[in-house]
Amino acid sequence: MPLILHGLPPIHWALAGAGIAAVTLTLLFVANRRLGISTSFEDLCSFALAAPYFQRPAVISGRPWRLPFAAGLVAGGFLSAVLGGGWSPTWALGMFDRVVALGPAGKLTWMFTGGLFIGFGTRLAGGCTSGHGVFGMSNFEWPSFLTTASFMAAGIVTTQLVYRVVFG
Amino acid sequence: MTILYVVLGTIFGFVLSRSGAADYDQIQSMFLFRSFQLYGILGTAVVLTAAGLRIIKQRGRTALGRPLKIELKLLHRGNVAGGLLFGVGWSMAGMCPGPILVNIGEGKIYALAALAGALAGAALLGAVYPRLQKPFKLPPIG
Repeated sequence: MPLILHGLPPIHWALAGAGIAAVTLTLLFVANRRLGISTSFEDLCSFALAAPYFQRPAVISGRPWRLPFAAGLVAGGFLSAVLGGGWSPTWALGMFDRVVALGPAGKLTWMFTGGLFIGFGTRLAGGCTSGHGVFGMSNFEWPSFLTTASFMAAGIVTTQLVYRVVFG
Repeated sequence: MTILYVVLGTIFGFVLSRSGAADYDQIQSMFLFRSFQLYGILGTAVVLTAAGLRIIKQRGRTALGRPLKIELKLLHRGNVAGGLLFGVGWSMAGMCPGPILVNIGEGKIYALAALAGALAGAALLGAVYPRLQKPFKLPPIG
């Protein structure tokens, strides 16, 4: 199945997994940092919100590495588009366009709602696919197995509901 | 070090972009059991990272000779509750936190709405955190 981005063929899963492991291990071995991405949402919040939750040391002290890393993620996506056929703003959303078929306003509402669940859920769980799924499970941490099982299960149920029941 | 973080983030973002980990259709195919791609990516990443962690932990020091410091995730009721909520959002957006940023870089306009939602969601969690601490046995703020 091609990617939405320029219909490119995805790279092999083993190569992608090796790339993710290489970055995760380099972050730890060189910089003594534990991979984790959803905390950068709190980093961004900490610039605008004075609540003690956002001003706690774990957030403030991690900003100098997490924010450059997050900026790199944006740059990586940009570079991928440029090298893969050119960068241009797009609304294309693959099977969502064919099956759910919402216009721009509906799409933005759908995405904002999904984002709300992501922001609230990852921070309640203490991490996301990177901190729990990749690092936590690799380090045999029990909370990470629990969290990963939970978000995989909820993702499966939600997609099955959307694509096999409601819009099936 | 800042440059290193930007470079590592860029490599990470490029891999997420080109592997399908930041692709709406690939995420839905994973949750519909129509494709092995994402399971293969996470499985390979975990196996190789676990092997590398073993070696780095045996050494006990970073490349620069500092004592290794890995903060462990805490066990509480938010793991399951938050995980379930995050799973709903991951399915809806077809992106987890890293891929939201990757999709913005790729030029996907709707990913900006996902980021706005994620920031609002994190802000909301921060606002209600003191009230959730007891029922979810969450750690103290510190």
